Amino acid sequence: MILSIALVVPLLGALALAGYPHWNAVQVRRLAMGTAAVSLAALIVAWLGFDPQGPQFQYVTELPWVPSLGVAYRLGVDGIALAVATMSALLFTAAAVYPVDTRGEPRGYYAWLLFMQGVSLGVFLTLDLLLFYVFFDLSLVGMFFLIGRWGHGRPQLSALKFFLFTFAGSLLLLLAIIGLYLALEPHSFDMRQLIEQRPLAGGGLYAGLVFLALMLGLAIKTPLVPLHTWLPQAHVDAPGPVSAILAGVLLKMGVYGMIRLPLSMMPGTFARYAPWVGALALLAIVYGALVALGQGNLKRRIAYTSINHMGYSVLGIAVAASAWGDPAARQLALTGASLQMVVHGLITGALFFISGSLWQRTGGYELGRYGGLAHQAPRLTGFTVLAAFASLGMPGLAGFVAEFQVFAGTFAVYPWLAAVAIVGILITAALFLDMLRRLFFGHLPASLGTFSDLNRAEGLVLGVLSLGIVTIGVYPSFVLALLESASGALVGGR
Amino acid sequence: MLWSLGLLPIGAAALLYLGGARLGRIAVTASAALAVLATLGLAALALATGWGEAAYRWSDVLALTLAPSDAAAVFTLAVPLIALPIIVYAGFHELPPGETGRGGVRLLALLVAFVGAMQLLVLADDLLMLLIAWELIGACSWALIGYRWGEAEVTRDALTAFLTTRCGDLGLYVAAAAVFAGSGGFGYADLAALEGPLLDIAVAGIVLAAAAKSAQLPFSAWLFAAMAGPVSVSALLHAATLVAAGLYLLARLQPILDGVAWFVPLVIAIGLTTALAGAMTAICQGHAKKLLAASTSSQYGLMWLAVGAGFPAVALVHFVAHAFMKAGLFLSAGLAAKESGGYELAGMRLGRRLPGVAATTLVSSLALAGMIPLGSAWSKEQVASAASQQSLWLALGVALAGGLSALYATRFQRLAYGRADRQTHDRLPPSTPPTRGEIVALRSLAAGTLLLSILWWPPAHQAVAGWLATHWPPSHLWLLLASLALVLAGIVGGLLMTRPGRRVEPASASQAVVAEWFGLTALLARVAGAVTALARRLARFDDARVDAGLHATARFADALARRSAGRGETLADGLPGGLSRLTDRAGGWARSAQSGQTHHYYSGIAIGVALVLSLLVIGVLL
Repeated sequence: MILSIALVVPLLGALALAGYPHWNAVQVRRLAMGTAAVSLAALIVAWLGFDPQGPQFQYVTELPWVPSLGVAYRLGVDGIALAVATMSALLFTAAAVYPVDTRGEPRGYYAWLLFMQGVSLGVFLTLDLLLFYVFFDLSLVGMFFLIGRWGHGRPQLSALKFFLFTFAGSLLLLLAIIGLYLALEPHSFDMRQLIEQRPLAGGGLYAGLVFLALMLGLAIKTPLVPLHTWLPQAHVDAPGPVSAILAGVLLKMGVYGMIRLPLSMMPGTFARYAPWVGALALLAIVYGALVALGQGNLKRRIAYTSINHMGYSVLGIAVAASAWGDPAARQLALTGASLQMVVHGLITGALFFISGSLWQRTGGYELGRYGGLAHQAPRLTGFTVLAAFASLGMPGLAGFVAEFQVFAGTFAVYPWLAAVAIVGILITAALFLDMLRRLFFGHLPASLGTFSDLNRAEGLVLGVLSLGIVTIGVYPSFVLALLESASGALVGGR
Repeated sequence: MLWSLGLLPIGAAALLYLGGARLGRIAVTASAALAVLATLGLAALALATGWGEAAYRWSDVLALTLAPSDAAAVFTLAVPLIALPIIVYAGFHELPPGETGRGGVRLLALLVAFVGAMQLLVLADDLLMLLIAWELIGACSWALIGYRWGEAEVTRDALTAFLTTRCGDLGLYVAAAAVFAGSGGFGYADLAALEGPLLDIAVAGIVLAAAAKSAQLPFSAWLFAAMAGPVSVSALLHAATLVAAGLYLLARLQPILDGVAWFVPLVIAIGLTTALAGAMTAICQGHAKKLLAASTSSQYGLMWLAVGAGFPAVALVHFVAHAFMKAGLFLSAGLAAKESGGYELAGMRLGRRLPGVAATTLVSSLALAGMIPLGSAWSKEQVASAASQQSLWLALGVALAGGLSALYATRFQRLAYGRADRQTHDRLPPSTPPTRGEIVALRSLAAGTLLLSILWWPPAHQAVAGWLATHWPPSHLWLLLASLALVLAGIVGGLLMTRPGRRVEPASASQAVVAEWFGLTALLARVAGAVTALARRLARFDDARVDAGLHATARFADALARRSAGRGETLADGLPGGLSRLTDRAGGWARSAQSGQTHHYYSGIAIGVALVLSLLVIGVLL
């Protein structure tokens, strides 16, 4: 019930905004904030009531929908889904609070934002494979309009590229989902049954193809190199809060999908391909970091670090899927990978909000135009330094806890992959410190003489996200308990 | 309880940063000093009453633990003790007399936080906690070196220093992961229980991390980049914190690391090479702080050698002696620079202008030279004796490094505080006397150096041995005499090198190369340049090539759409009828496909997947 509230309230809010044209901009924004916050509050309540020692899936709701096809409205969460969903709801609330130029169409903007929140939470909360796919696809639609209508630069082109590319991934995913559905007797889209019965455990060509389609579809969304080229373009042209959602929530759907579908439903097949998936993740880690270092555009740089960071997540998942290795190490890697999803949402979300603020003040992302802002905007500098250090894995902040677990777990299973992946943190350190240097230190260009510091709404959003980053950094046990309950079931349950 | 040693200064630093901007210079300095003093008191209390282990669990696997140890005892006392005068000096040297402002408060708060992070580092009892503190001091050093962020080069140098030391940090990540792979935990006890190749990996990682932080070869060059920071920061980094952390780690874990056959030769080789190369660099350097920085590498090289030879306690004593003298020398260099307008030794010779400072500095310089009866001479003798346990030549190598130290120490003292001829002196504007805070800081460090002379007194050094539960290596009279002769030769050489009228800056191209760490500084810059160039090239490749497949697919689809649109127009008339026929046929096909036989489904899906995949492949190839 509580999950349904989290899911339905934003959708109702979106409907209300779309249907009732008489609210003014302030009222629209307030409604959006309120609705998003209700959804967030529902998930927090669910978190507080979640029993880590209890069954794997909790808060399960099931309403029959199309019984003949085995489709039903099924909701339920394990620890990983709940943590990622709560982070997403927080990010959506932050996006609603964050001031943005809505080009005179606040109603449309906030309606699409709430729609996105509903369908994105749907992806994480549902236990029905078909619903999962539907939500997965609907999120593309929402993002398409948000980028295309409220973006800058060449938004239509970016939105189209984003949509077509990721939609191709969705189609593969659909094929795979149908494959899984048909393999289950009696046919059903119930994830719990698929996880329990593992219809394709026998392996063979069919299982291999289904796995391949699943992974390809999810890898596009994650994204893994070389399927990532839609990402930087979409980010550069999207408004700041939309970028934060894109990186913070949409990318997670790919990684979360890997945990929920291939890792849970066909671990035997995954185990065979795990080293290859790990190697691809390694490519994303090193290549993503290096390409990010080569960018002179702030947003492209942050976008490429997302590829690097999601690489850690996928690496952890591949380790968890491995056929050999100590279960404790594999569980550590999976816990790290799922924590990485949560912290990447907070950190990269914060970084994209920040780049949105810079855009609103100067209209440019070229690092070369900036410099010396530390004196002009000390609060902005403080938050950016914190987020950048969190992103480069500084202990005491959230990123370290996740990446350390992935490294330690990976080393015990695939030492060579870990040894190379570790270089990634050196490159990310270089690129973030270089970014800080070029934005905030050195001489202040004359054109930035009137640059103003963060306003209250921006400060509030970044303050809350930073609080989350620091809290997870020094007191991660409250998240880890939740994630470990899920990762234990996933790794131990084979 | 042990947590308070680290958290007290960190918390105090946060409070100071948030609340100190409005306070005046004296109030800020006093509160910072008070925080460090309280840390010192806590450390003493912890030692006196024997505080036990403390743990903080993140999860079943991840636990942060602190525990006392002999090496930690030395460091928990020495770090705040050395930091105290440095912080007082920093307050008076860097801060404006009136309201402090954000910048000044940041400096002092970071110095205090640095002390806290260092305390956590030395108390850590597992590799995870160690790694956390290890990276935190790296971050502190980045912020401190980049204190004057308005100058573009400063933040670049801070970046260089941070990246070089983090390069070593990777070793700790690997070591921690290796310990986990072997034992399922991260504790030092787990490390001790490790066997086989995993132990080799862990030890290699730890040595790498220690070498980078301790500025041993081949990582020494970052210390020069770190010179972009204020002089008080350099003093703290070199004397008590960042550079010391590497040595601490080796000394603390020496009994475990010793279990690997190659540990002893490797550490001795690194230590001796750095000791000699650093001394040569210092001899050729014309920049006061860089001379001292090279000397730091060299002195830590001697300490490494002592650890390698199996006497970590000797290294600890030399660390304390070095901390007092090196902090004093850096602070003094700051005063000299303030007086002469820069750190170039060529423009100094301030003996007539700052006679008091010159006299105080002489104590530290003599200590750096290893002159009897100062404490550092005793600890250096112990290093030589420890080396003589390994081989005679090694002991002579230590004595030679000592002679070279005497040379550059003399050079520093005479160039900075020698007496300029009266005409030059009279031409300059009247000098601005150092503030009382600066003088107090300098004198107390010199007093510490003098006090350590007590180490020559047998009951005193026996007491230290008892406290550290160790014994000193047997000493040899001939070695002492040889060392002394080399020190005197070094002093004479230094005096000759600094005769009035001789050039100070490197006289030849080869000397200039030696002065920059035998070209290591340039190499570091070249590596950084190569990585950046590679990154730019990859970024272009990503835009032009990786994305090209996608564009080609789009063009192909576009062309396809146009063609079908062209044909489609003519077809449009017949379409409605055709469509219904098509639907009819498709329905029939669908019915026949729903055979209920799974292999039909399988093959249908397989064909679909193959189609999609081949489309993708075509797209990529195009």
